[in-house]
Amino acid sequence: MKFFNTYKKQILRLVIIFLVLLILFTAGRKKRATPIDNALSFVVAPAQDISTTISSWVLNKVSALKDDTDLAAENSELKAKIEILEAENKRLSMYEEENKRLSALLDVSQKYPDYETTGVDIIAKDPGNWYLTFTINKGTRQGLKPDMALTDAGGLVGRITECGYLYSKVESILDSRSSVSAMSLRTGDLGVVKGDYTLMNDGLCKMEYIDSESEIMKGDEIVTSYLSGIYPSGITVGYVKEVVTDENGLTKYAVIEPAVDFKHISTLLVITDGFSDAKSGEENEN
Amino acid sequence: MKRKIVMFIILIINIVLQSTVFQFIRVNYIIPNTAIVITVSMALLRGRAEGCLIGFTAGFLQDIFFGFSLGYYALLGTIMGYFVGRFNHNYYRENYALPLFLCFLGTIIYESAVFFTGPFFAGYLNYMYFFAKIIFPEAVYTAAVSIIIYRILFSVNERIESSEKYKRKLFSIK
Repeated sequence: MKFFNTYKKQILRLVIIFLVLLILFTAGRKKRATPIDNALSFVVAPAQDISTTISSWVLNKVSALKDDTDLAAENSELKAKIEILEAENKRLSMYEEENKRLSALLDVSQKYPDYETTGVDIIAKDPGNWYLTFTINKGTRQGLKPDMALTDAGGLVGRITECGYLYSKVESILDSRSSVSAMSLRTGDLGVVKGDYTLMNDGLCKMEYIDSESEIMKGDEIVTSYLSGIYPSGITVGYVKEVVTDENGLTKYAVIEPAVDFKHISTLLVITDGFSDAKSGEENEN
Repeated sequence: MKRKIVMFIILIINIVLQSTVFQFIRVNYIIPNTAIVITVSMALLRGRAEGCLIGFTAGFLQDIFFGFSLGYYALLGTIMGYFVGRFNHNYYRENYALPLFLCFLGTIIYESAVFFTGPFFAGYLNYMYFFAKIIFPEAVYTAAVSIIIYRILFSVNERIESSEKYKRKLFSIK
């Protein structure tokens, strides 16, 4: 410490220059975790896992105490809902079979193929207020790779940006660094869903570069488009909340309410396979 | 050595808590920045050199687990530790007002720096909007949390210092 006190200015200057250079060199996103990351994550990731489990358990208990009385009513309601959904599921699987048969006849590959998925848990969230990234509890050991897409039961959550041995970092679609090629399911209008600093904390995002003559309107379902290089096509992103024409009058943007409730997500699905099939399918179509 | 190990464990615990338990105490989506509190407290208690080291380590851990390039938060933490360490010489440790005030001011400067290096370049020029919505609430929340954390770090520091004094006595006998 004496050494530091005599040369503090020089040392600080060197450290600052070193850090600035480090920032510049590592700014192009790395996709594989470095050995330092992995070594630290062996300690931190399990701790985060335990800590999240405990705190969500406590939170569940507290909220269970609060609405204990409603459980019976909710249960019967859910049972009724399941019955309806099961009936619908049967009907839809019949359609699927029919669709497969007809597509085979027409020699068209499936536009929305089945994706192989694996379940993951969120173990940590970004400790800042500017970005929205998660850490999940599986990594290269379980066969995850960067750029795999994540979904919830409702829709698209984000993609993996970096894979460690036991953990992966996920960038959500609300994060301002994320952009997803998307389209309106009803009209087929294309656009890009981007995160926005001003909308992020309200749980919303923005769909930009929509043609001004498109007939996109409030309530339309937005899905990932077939143009995306990362995200498989046909995954629900969200619903249009508001459509605004840009100042230049040539394009519109829409405020999107994601299908996923980002406040209450814990278990997610990673799409591990099937994407390459979808891509080759598109090539066949063209 | 003992001091270094204890501080490293504290910083590891901090990043674990920040990314897990504190997520559940977000008020209006705002989460307090406890890394700033630890940097400010230790810089005040121990001076510039340690302030820099702790700011660097706390920032580097955040870089590794949540950053987009290595060294960004580490740089901010180092600079903050250096400037806060200035106040180490002339203040009473039992005075809780100064850490609280410096945490408040430090958070505002720190988050403004984050704003002007990130969102500002992405085309979000409206500083006042983000000041009102993110920076100021975070500073208030962080200052409130700093009262508790400063107390804990104060007693931890006292313990380590007393054990260090004891060691020195042993050596002086020789």
